[in-house]
Amino acid sequence: MVKRRSSGHTLLWKASRTLKYLVLFGVSLIFIYPFYYVFVLATRERANMFKVPPPFWFGHGIGNNYSSLLKNLPFWRNMLNSTGIAVLATFTTLFFCTMAGFAFAKYKFKGKNFLFNFILATLAIPQLLGIIPFFKMMVWFNWLNTWFPLFIPTMANAFGIFLMRQYLNSSVPLDLLDAARIDGIGEFKILFKVVFPLAKPALAVLGISTFIGSWNNFFGALVILRDKRAYTIPVALSSLLGVHNIDFGAIMMGTALSLVPLLVIFLFFSKKIISNLLAGSLKGVAR
Amino acid sequence: MKSLIGLLLAFMLLLSTSLFAGGKQEVKKYDPDSPVTITLGGYGDLETAYKAVVESKDFKSKYPNMKVKFVMNDFAAHHDRLTTAIAAGKGAFEVEAIEIGYIAKFVASGGLTNLSGSPFNAKAAVKNIVKYAVSNATTKDGKIIAIPVDIAPAVMFYRKSLADKAGVDLSGVKSWDEYIKTGRKLTVDKNGDGKIDQYALTSPESVWEIPLNGGKGGWFDKNGNVLEPKERFINVLNLVKKIREAGIDADLDAWSQSWLASFKTGLVATHFSGAWWGGALRTWVAPKEKGDWRVAYPPGKALASIGGTYLSIPEQIPVDKKLPAWELIKYLTTNPAAQLITFKKIDAFPSLTTIFNDPVMDEPVAYFGNQKARKLFAEIALKIPESSVSKYDVIARDIWITAVTNVIIGKASVEAAYDKAKKQIENRIQ
Amino acid sequence: MKMNQQKIAPYLFISPFFILFFIFGAFPNLFSLFLSFTRWNGMSKIEFVGLKNFIYLITRDDFFWKSLTNTFFLLLIGSLLQHIIALPLAVMLDSKVLKGREFLRTAYFLPYITSTVSIAFLFGYLFDRNFGLFNYLMGLAGLPGIKWFSEPSTVKPAIAILLNWRWIGWNTILYLAGLQSIPEELIESARVEGAGRYAIFFFILLPLLLPVIFFAVSLSIIFGMQLFDEALILTGGTRGNPGGVDNAGLTTLIYLYTVGFRWGKFGLGSAVSWVLFLIIISATVTFKKIIERLQH
Repeated sequence: MVKRRSSGHTLLWKASRTLKYLVLFGVSLIFIYPFYYVFVLATRERANMFKVPPPFWFGHGIGNNYSSLLKNLPFWRNMLNSTGIAVLATFTTLFFCTMAGFAFAKYKFKGKNFLFNFILATLAIPQLLGIIPFFKMMVWFNWLNTWFPLFIPTMANAFGIFLMRQYLNSSVPLDLLDAARIDGIGEFKILFKVVFPLAKPALAVLGISTFIGSWNNFFGALVILRDKRAYTIPVALSSLLGVHNIDFGAIMMGTALSLVPLLVIFLFFSKKIISNLLAGSLKGVAR
Repeated sequence: MKSLIGLLLAFMLLLSTSLFAGGKQEVKKYDPDSPVTITLGGYGDLETAYKAVVESKDFKSKYPNMKVKFVMNDFAAHHDRLTTAIAAGKGAFEVEAIEIGYIAKFVASGGLTNLSGSPFNAKAAVKNIVKYAVSNATTKDGKIIAIPVDIAPAVMFYRKSLADKAGVDLSGVKSWDEYIKTGRKLTVDKNGDGKIDQYALTSPESVWEIPLNGGKGGWFDKNGNVLEPKERFINVLNLVKKIREAGIDADLDAWSQSWLASFKTGLVATHFSGAWWGGALRTWVAPKEKGDWRVAYPPGKALASIGGTYLSIPEQIPVDKKLPAWELIKYLTTNPAAQLITFKKIDAFPSLTTIFNDPVMDEPVAYFGNQKARKLFAEIALKIPESSVSKYDVIARDIWITAVTNVIIGKASVEAAYDKAKKQIENRIQ
Repeated sequence: MKMNQQKIAPYLFISPFFILFFIFGAFPNLFSLFLSFTRWNGMSKIEFVGLKNFIYLITRDDFFWKSLTNTFFLLLIGSLLQHIIALPLAVMLDSKVLKGREFLRTAYFLPYITSTVSIAFLFGYLFDRNFGLFNYLMGLAGLPGIKWFSEPSTVKPAIAILLNWRWIGWNTILYLAGLQSIPEELIESARVEGAGRYAIFFFILLPLLLPVIFFAVSLSIIFGMQLFDEALILTGGTRGNPGGVDNAGLTTLIYLYTVGFRWGKFGLGSAVSWVLFLIIISATVTFKKIIERLQH
């Protein structure tokens, strides 16, 4: 029984708020569950993996799975490769895309629309078959088994430029730029002193997506990296598929461990999305 | 504008012909004294087996200066990488493994060294290798482009205890009709809750390859007509339809968790697959069911192969690497010790017939209740008819599977599915 | 001097893209454009065939048309539908009074972190006939299990579930970042004037978010039309019939992959790429026109 003391309106409001929380948290379970499940499977031995109902709780196979993983892969070396490539990709992408996005958002110049549309159009070309000539070029460059092909060609990419342009359009006031110019600050300096600090939320989004995209890049890494020790995580883990004498749990262990850096990166960047200088809180709106 | 495009195309043509053309190479002899590193690209378990081979005393004494490296990947990824490297004309490894399902494509499109020519003379080397497997890797004009290193004669796997309980004998099923009849007896509700909890097989989809040689070749008749003779294909569609209608299959998707589990829980009593499946059962699919699984001829003594690995040398490899690469392939495929190591390590059935008489083949296999299973695999392997593959086999097969599944789920009649598939394949191959 | 710097700067700023594109993108793209007018199996001599590949695609290629229909359908229920969920979700997660929003934000974003390889395993479990979570829950509710991938009618819904699950968090984050650029005073003053929650959402937030919406939806169109990984994983990889039972999950990119990598028809495959390119461009331009209308 609800106490009569509260008015009808508040009651309704309370009920709807409870419902909202129920839905928000209930639905979030669906999103967490598979992630959680990777960790459950990583702790299970193959023998007790397939069951009805499916296993919901952690098993006792951690040690086994971990040592089996290390026996079959230079796992930490693979982690290092993935991390190195992803970090390089993230920093270079953030820099070059912000620069280009800024140009398209805040400058007037000849051919601006055409050039921007050109960049955008490159996103719409399926790259599946392009891997063959691309691979050939990497052979010429002598870039096989190196990190270069996995971050240099995409340092200034259409996606990032588009994102930064859309965002900078509305979040960097022109007055601010003009004021800086009157103070005699050069264009490059403006980019560093004014634009980058104001672009934090967008930089965070681009940072997350670049890091994760690089980390999970499979096909590119597959054709470029040709040595177990050079493999990145996805290629290394996929090389274990179909190996009958390896425990499935070992692959899940590798998967689980490889998710940890991504989670850290996300938590790090997602803080930045919300903590912007200009940010207005939307207090009340969502209530 | 038009002339610009023309110019551009001409430029691209020039560029691509110069970039994508392979030159002729001079032929030398393998020099065992010069140090060389050979990389073998493969998938799945292969490294486990071949590593043991090249670390053996015998290999080391024969090839003291050869270092062998392995680059393994997932099954599909490996073949995609190989396709990319071959099309790019560069970047393939000295030895590349090819699974039988992909062999037709590579046989037809080229890009792999013709091993029957000098200095390899594969014809002499393969004289003791299972004939049908060699024929699958031979082009229409007789070039051998890959050597079978393991094969997978198809058998019927079955659970002895379940057969006994149902009072049926699965060791010599004479026809598919008999199989379906027996299958009905194997399909039971064990605990009486109104739900069937034991079926004859996982899905009719796992059956279609058996009467069609495992889908290796045979898609076209002598005159190049696809899915002919018609009766052969119609029969298969009728077979899968009858199995589904008899209600004796558990309707499980291959390689799903339910499917995998069904081999240990006793949900299915039979399964059709290649010899390697025995290894999968023993090591990880159903290790605890040791002693209960058996093998037998498929119904009507149908002969097929499901699986198998080939080793090849890409055309783009320089000749001074081709020669040692060939030595490695020869060793892995024609050295009895190497073949036995591979067999023991990963259950890949040997392609070399001379070891079919080895005592190992006569040993009772504990997993199969001390049945002499290997003898049966060998016997079938020797009987599988030779058939050459064609460049359109992959297309025919991909489209055919849709016909099979559509008949199984009742979306199309046998005739309609056949006609549609035939039309679609014909439309593709012109 | 100053004016000059302001003139040159934008060109300098955008030059990295064009330099990189010239080095790494031009050759592969021109080569594939050239290939689309040829017949080539990856090894054979390249044979010029004019417009033949394009004519074949448009007039006789039933797989191509089927793949386009499948892709459009999946674009609608898999990639576009989720924006209707993601936008309000972002507004909620932005609210300072929402308890546990850090947790929720992370939770909804988790699927985006998960790699393609692990998704293959996970969804193998979730959609499994007997052991899968979905069918297990349906069983608890007394419903019969769904044969997700043995029935053509449930293949696309299964793929769409995965797409929504995987990308909602990503779109939410995009909108969340977009919301940060809307000044609080705007909303405050609207509230002072008596605007309700829904009025604020529809008349203030939505119009101001149009650039972000344009960005997020354009991306969904561009990448949704190039749907590959998720559909390939769920329909059994590359061993069976392309796109699963009755080709129900055959997307245009899976078709492109099949034609090129499996069937060795790189000329036809390149033609598919470029026709798809034109379709994506027209879809994006149309969408842009709609947004521009809305902005006025």
